[in-house]
Formats: sequence, structure tokens, C-alpha cells
Amino acid sequence: MTVITDEVVCAPRAGTLYDVLDLILDRGIVIDAFVRVSLVGIEILKIDARIVVASVDTYLRFAEACNRLDLEHDASSRTVPELFGGASSGAAKSAGKAGAKKAARSVGKKAKEVLGVDGDDEDDGKRSSHRRSGSRAGSSRARSGRRTEED
Amino acid sequence: MGVYIYGVAGASPRIPAGLRGVGKPPAALRRVVANRVTAVVSAAPDHLRAYRRDLQAHQNVLMAFADQGPVLPMRFGVVVADEDAVRARLEEGGKEYEAALDRVADRVEMNVKVSAAEGDLAEIVQQDPRVQQLRHQARRRPGYEINLRLGEAIATAIGRRAAQAAAQVSAVLTPLADDVRKGPEVTGCVLNMSFLIRADAVEQFRAETGRLANRHMAHAVLQLTGPLPCYSFAVAVVPEPV
Repeated sequence: MTVITDEVVCAPRAGTLYDVLDLILDRGIVIDAFVRVSLVGIEILKIDARIVVASVDTYLRFAEACNRLDLEHDASSRTVPELFGGASSGAAKSAGKAGAKKAARSVGKKAKEVLGVDGDDEDDGKRSSHRRSGSRAGSSRARSGRRTEED
Repeated sequence: MGVYIYGVAGASPRIPAGLRGVGKPPAALRRVVANRVTAVVSAAPDHLRAYRRDLQAHQNVLMAFADQGPVLPMRFGVVVADEDAVRARLEEGGKEYEAALDRVADRVEMNVKVSAAEGDLAEIVQQDPRVQQLRHQARRRPGYEINLRLGEAIATAIGRRAAQAAAQVSAVLTPLADDVRKGPEVTGCVLNMSFLIRADAVEQFRAETGRLANRHMAHAVLQLTGPLPCYSFAVAVVPEPV
């Protein structure tokens, strides 16, 4: 019992952090004598948190699906030069595959960063503080703000 | 600054090695013990917000402590001035916390969300007289307004079927639970319900939810999350000081 996403079996969708946000933010003990810091801020941020967390969870799902793809044995991943034939086709093909694998690996790595204890997603929260424009804007901003360095 | 509280556990739970709390860098966890209850706390971050990282940390800490015994989760974002204030509160409400811990002992929260499945459009057309009628009209005299009304009728039918499925899901799962709480309204969900389940009955609950998911596949999407710390069953137990 480590991460909630590991605990979910029921088809067809798996639970993620997003799926229990309502419980984390709206349930559990609140005792008035305990000051709930930036109570108002958090109430407002709930909406933003849903958007940000939803975006990230969507990315993580994509990344997971992407990582499961078997690019080595996928006949449909032939590159254009290969389809047209020619002396350089072999080289072009392997370069294309290497690129795809690298991309998949880096997505997986980012996914780990986001989920991990050392996840570096503070900028998610900062962006969310001035986001009010709906999930599409949220998604694109979350994407553009993600760290992009490779291996 | 201040003290961030994750939850209240029984007497002296152990802090798992490597487990960290909210903040950046993640804060070290501490225990505040008063009689037979223990608050799990850490330094509060200066700018506490609903960061994904901190939400996940809050959840992870509670999951780790729930592995050792009953835990009453605090809602995300509860901060107290200092440890003395936490201790005073625990001493004041000791009996109530113990009683609340007993209620969730050896139990977990399982959350089920039901949302509408679009399913087979042809089936909706066959079964819903109003959709049928509007479809005829739309075919005879196509237009924006009739399309809107047809689409609305289909959406209503989809929602109604999902609500019926949700009612059946709730009726089947409720007897398996020691307690049931409605969750907060969530956009897109026709049912958001948490079930207090004995730890040894989790697999049975999971299997039953799986069967329900299959049975209602055409009309509803079921999503089961858990086992979770008992967020929905940790009631505010301590009366306010006068």
C-alpha cells in the first residue's frame, strides 16, 4: 500500500491522485481550533488543483501507455525512407526508433519525478494560483512548464 | 511556519524510514504524543498550497501510518501554531479520538465513483420514446434547434440510465460496508460514495464492484479507489471549547 494508483483494479479506469482529490480536500478532520492555513486560498485552489492534477494524471496515463508500446516489433512504425526504399533506409529507420525510445524513456522519467518524493512540481502550484481559464489552458501550461531536460 | 498535521493515530506509531512530509524539500515527520493518541506532524511549509506534490505527500504519509494501525486523517491543509497547541488539543479530546480510532480500526475506506457511459446510442433510440420522436422530427426537418433538443434528450437518457445503475451499485455495495458516506459532489459523477470496509473484506468488495462494473458497463463507468485512509469516516470528534 504505497501509492493509490497501485491499489486499483476495477475496470475500466484506474484511480489516481485526481480521483481522491475530493476526499483529500473535502473530507478528513478539521478542527476549528486548528487554523486551517489559507483556508480561503485552498478552497479556491481546489478547482485549480483538480485541473493541474487532472492534467498530470492524464499525462501519466499517456506515458504509461506509451511505455508499454513495443516499438521494436511494431511493423507500422516504419519510417518514410524505408517505405520508399533506398540505400539510407536502414540508418533512417534505426534513428527514428532510437528517437522514439528516448522520448518514451524521458516521459517515463518525468512521470517518476512527478510522483516521486523528490517530485519537482512546485511550479504546478504556482501556475495554478493564477489560472482560471479552464482545463485546456491548464493542460497546455502544465505541459509547457514541465522540466524538459533529457537524460 | 507552524506545525502541519497529517492525522491522529493510536499510541506511538513508528515513523517509517524515508517517509517525508509536505514542503520542498519534504519535511521530516514528527510525533506529538498525548496519553494514548499521537498526532503525526511536520514543519509547515511557508506557502502551503494545494500543490500536487504536497497532496501526494499528505496521502502517502496517511497511507504509511494506516499500515500500522487506525488513523484519523486530517483534511489537507491543517496547520497549528506549535506542538504545544497540538498536544493540548489531543489531551482535551483524548477519549473522543480513541473512540473514533476504534471505529476505523482494521477498516479501510473504499471509494466508488460512478459516471455515465455513453454506451450504445441505438439502444437509447430504441428504448426512449422521446428520443425516438425527436429523431424522427430531426430527420424530417433538420435544423439547429431540433438537433439541440435531440442531443439534450439523449444526454438526459444517458444520465438517467447511469443514475439507475448507480442506485443499484449503491444498493448492492452498502450491505458489505460497516458505514457509508456520500462523497462531495464531483463534476461528471452520478455517484460518489465511500464505504467503510473491514480490511479482510476488501477483496470481496473489490470483486463485487468488478462484477457490478461489468453488469452496468453499457450504462455506467465504475471506478474503485482504495484501500484508502478513512478520510470520510474520521468525524470531527472534539467539541469546540466554549
